[in-house]
This record gives sequence, structure tokens and C-alpha cells, in this order.
Amino acid sequence: MSIDVLLKEFQEVSEHPYKVLSQYKAEGKKVIGVLPYYAPEELVIAAGMVPMGIWGSNKKTIALAKEYCATFYCTIAQLALEMLLDGTMDQLDGIITPTICDTLRPMSQNIRVAMGDKLPCIFLAHPQYRRPAFGMQFTVDQYTNVKKELEKIAGAEITDEALRGAIKTMNASRAARREFVKLAGQHPEAVSAVLRSAVLRSAWFMEKAEHTAKLQQLNAELAALPASNWKGKKVLTSGIICDNPKLLQIFDDNGIAIAADDVAQESRLIRVDAAETGDPMMALAQMYADQDYDVLLFDEKSSENRRADYVVKQVKESGAQGLILFMQQFCDPEEMEYPYLKKALDAAGIPHVKLGVDQQMRDFGQASTAIQAFADVL
Amino acid sequence: MSIYTLGIDIGSTASKCVMLKDGRDIVSKSLIAVGAGTSGPQRAIAQVLESAGMKREDMDYVLATGYGRNSLEGVADHQMSELSCHGKGAAFLFPEVHTVIDIGGQDVKVLQVENGVMTNFVMNDKCAAGTGRFLDVMARVLEVKVEDLGTLGAQSTKYVGISSTCTVFAESEVISQLAMDTDKRDIINGIHKSVASRVAGLAHRVGIRDQVVMTGGVAQNTGVVKALEEALGHTIHTSPLTQYNGALGAALFGYQRYLKEHQA
Repeated sequence: MSIDVLLKEFQEVSEHPYKVLSQYKAEGKKVIGVLPYYAPEELVIAAGMVPMGIWGSNKKTIALAKEYCATFYCTIAQLALEMLLDGTMDQLDGIITPTICDTLRPMSQNIRVAMGDKLPCIFLAHPQYRRPAFGMQFTVDQYTNVKKELEKIAGAEITDEALRGAIKTMNASRAARREFVKLAGQHPEAVSAVLRSAVLRSAWFMEKAEHTAKLQQLNAELAALPASNWKGKKVLTSGIICDNPKLLQIFDDNGIAIAADDVAQESRLIRVDAAETGDPMMALAQMYADQDYDVLLFDEKSSENRRADYVVKQVKESGAQGLILFMQQFCDPEEMEYPYLKKALDAAGIPHVKLGVDQQMRDFGQASTAIQAFADVL
Repeated sequence: MSIYTLGIDIGSTASKCVMLKDGRDIVSKSLIAVGAGTSGPQRAIAQVLESAGMKREDMDYVLATGYGRNSLEGVADHQMSELSCHGKGAAFLFPEVHTVIDIGGQDVKVLQVENGVMTNFVMNDKCAAGTGRFLDVMARVLEVKVEDLGTLGAQSTKYVGISSTCTVFAESEVISQLAMDTDKRDIINGIHKSVASRVAGLAHRVGIRDQVVMTGGVAQNTGVVKALEEALGHTIHTSPLTQYNGALGAALFGYQRYLKEHQA
């Protein structure tokens, strides 16, 4: 299949997750909604169910969720609740609600109260001390709770063998996505910013094995392309989410390619894999412990500014000339981390621009001006 | 033979045009006080051509900028962001410029300029506080003309604090002050300081280096300029062409692009 055809297929999924959900239900599958961040999708797959990521919506308007949330509440979380309240997600069989940031923690309770008996809500509290033995044990205990709840929904036990198989499936998915990020950065003529996002976003909606198989095909096609002769600019994107096609169209209109990303919805969550042998629950806990360089994760060496240095390294290694930061309004962790990131970027002589965004934005005139001007600066 | 370039700056509240001869001499200019999405752009273009006695076909290059820059397909040869154009225009008017503060209708931008080229910038977030719109709203509440704010504020004798966080809340504060019979001139002075503190906060993010130049319609308000000078501790330079600065930059870029295309 040609690159364009494959990209269009990913785009179709990315733009219509509701259709995908309905299709899975029509096929008799059970589907579990997975909120950000770090929920072990492996457990859902091992239970024979389909995990579907919930990352808000670029199309819906917040109305019903306002009953539960203050105006400054993260729009990704508000829109997730909105879709649970307005019936969009009525077909789900359950939902996992991680609580790693100050917004998601109360949101997990809002969702539980709002859903009542309608939808099983599986609470997941990751530990911030994720590396010491007691932290690892805490993660295992939490995941064991999630596992038990998923088993109830699936009506079957999750065996170690099935879990090891699910880990393999997810490792393959993460590896294919990492490879795609690299190839898309090398061949921006073939993969626009809009379609790059669609490929990565669709991984949250499609069954992982199916997504991986298709993505491996695409990667093979991209790898076979002759070396790129890109005349435009290249940037690294950073932030929680950057998946609005209208916003990304501004990149394409101004000849700006995304060389790589430090975006939670795209690369931040797929940087490490789990061991495919040994105790699979411990392997999942170890994978979480191995996660790093994320604004949401505790860093024992925070005074060393390791995360910002990592992002600087990413910019340099990807061949990006600058960084575009999408600051999700009003995301405390991202806002608080920004001065450290700015300091490291300035020290390395890397230009950057910070754009305030949220999922209720429909007009990107100001972002367009800033991105176009940024291209002139690079 | 002379080269004529036309810069068109379609802002959110005004449409401005500048026609240049040989990238150096201003032949004519026009300003219509309505911007993107109105008849303003077409009227401004018609006016600038008419006062020069020329036609669109006589223009060697037309470059559009501003919020409505994408709406001129078929008229403009190219479009560029107004940040780049403001940097260019300011460097033409003030060759020693290093910082440009542009307060427009709905945006505040602070630019760092090195050797006439923009090297860094910051913009306000999606918020009207500190913008021209903020002053428009306040002038309406105070029942004065926006162009009289500078003169009236200069007559203030007492400090009145007005919030710089939010236009809506600041408007309520102004209404409360009016209800308490506070002198309008003192309120206006407080509003100017409020705008200045907001803009100064943004400006410090890119760093302030002399010469500091202020452009955009709000630069005509002497009260804001003075309050900003106090807040920044730097002298601010303005030009009678302040509102035309973006269009001037566009015409200059148009001249550069024309030369580049015709040399190639």
C-alpha cells in the first residue's frame, strides 16, 4: 500500500474514534477507556479487551462537565468527563482513571460520582517514589487492583502468559511508533505535521496489534524513500498534547516540519518498554520506574535540571532548529517546569516559542502569527 | 526606473497601507479604522493607490501582513507575520533599535532586534488585558475618547490602582471607582499604569535593551508610553508613523523580495 493510502487510513481512525469504538462493540469486543497517563494498557489487552485512549476532544464544547469543574480546569480532563456525560462513551465497558497530576486526582472522583453504577471506574494511583523497592511494590499493588477489576469486567482471569503476550504486543507498538517518529522527522515531505499527529493519535484508538502491523508497513515505505531534501525549517514540539489538525496545518502552511517531539500524547509515554520474561507484573512496575524526563514524574535529582537537558539533547539530535512549546492551559506541572526548560534552551542557544492552547480553541490566528514569525527567526 | 512596493497591514482594528519607492521613500500611506473582515482593507488599498495616482498594476511587489494577511489572495504577492514586519519597520525608522514593543488592538508583542533583524519575541496569551482593546473598553466606560486618554491621564494628581489581570475585572474596578466619585483623570492614569505593568512583565521575558521603540496605535497614547518608561526604566522612542510601522516593514520586505526574485 502506498504511503498516502496508509496515512489516510490512520487519519480516518484519528478523526473518528467513535466509529472505531462502535465497530469494536459490533464485533462483540469489550472496550476499556484509558485516561492519561501511564495506565498499563497491557493489562487490558491481556484480559482480551481493547484499550482506547481518552485525550479530550478537539470538536466538543464543554457544557455538562462544568457542573463538576472550575473554569480553569484542564480542558482535556473536562472534555473526557463531557464525553462520559453526554453519552459519547456509553459503549465503554469500563474506564481506568490514573491520578498522577493534581487535575486527574479529583477528576477520578468526579468521574466515579458522575458515572455511579453506569460504568465501572478503575482508580489507579501511581507512586511518585517509583524506583525504590517500596515504590515498585506500591505500583505492583496498584496494578494488581486494576487487574482484579479488569478481570471482573472481562469475566476471566488474566494469566501471566497472556500478560507476557500483551507486553510483547505493547513493546512492538511502542517500537514501531518510535521508529515512525524518527522516519517522519527524516521525511517531512512524505509525512505532513497533520498526518504525523494522526498516525500517533490513532495508536490510542486502534487495537494495538492492528495499528502496529499497519505502522510497520508505513515505516518500511518511509525507510525506502530517498534521502530528504527538505528546504523548510525543523522544530521539536513539546507539551501535553498537540493534535488539533487546524493548529498543525499552520506548520504545514509555513514549511515547518516536526523533527521529533517531547509531547505526552506522542513520544513521552512510549520511551521505555517492559521486560518480556520473568514476573510480568514486576516488569510493568519496572517499566513505570524506568520512565523519566517527564514533568509529571518526581525526579530525585531535580536540582540538576535533567529533564530540560534531555529536551535540549533531543533538539540537537533530531536536527531541529528550535522548539515550539504548546502550553496546555492551565497545566500546573507544565507551567511550573517552563522556567527551567527556558533556562536550558536559552543557555544552549536554542530559540523557542511558547503558545498557550486548550481544546476549546477554534481560532488559531494568534498561534499562526507566532509560528510564522518563529519560522522567520529560525 | 523606480521600484514601487506596497505594504498592507490588516490588523484586528485598523487597516494600514504604505507605498515605498525604491525601498526608501514613502510615496503615500493610508489608514482606515476598521480591520480584518471589514471593508477596511479594500478601502485602505484604494486610498493609498489613489493618493499616489497609481494602480495595483504599477506596484512591483505587494506584501500583506497583520491578523488578516491571509485574506488578500490575488492582491498580495506574499504574506508575512506582523512580528517580522514590525521589527523591519522599527529598524528602518530607528537604526539603533534593539527592542520593539508593539501594542495593537488585540495583541501585545515584544521583539528583540539585532542589526535590523528580529531574533526573538514574545506575545501575550489569549487575553485582552494590556492591549488596545483594553483601552477601548475603559474609554467607553469612562465616556471619553480613546485618543484623549493620554492628555487626561497627564492631569492626574492621585494614584488609583487598577488591576492588570483581566479586562472584565478591571472594567468592574473602574465602574466601582466611578461610583465612588473618583476623578476620571486619576482612574485613567491608573489604567495606563495597569497596561504598562502588564506589558513590562512580558517585555522582561525577552529582555530590554536600548533603543526601545514602541509601535502600534497605543504608542500614540502618551500616558501609556510614560507609564511604560517608568515601569521599564528605559527611554521609549516613538514615531509619528507608529501606526504604519507594520505596513512600512511589509513594504520594505516587499522591496527585498522583489530584488531577490529579479536578481535570481
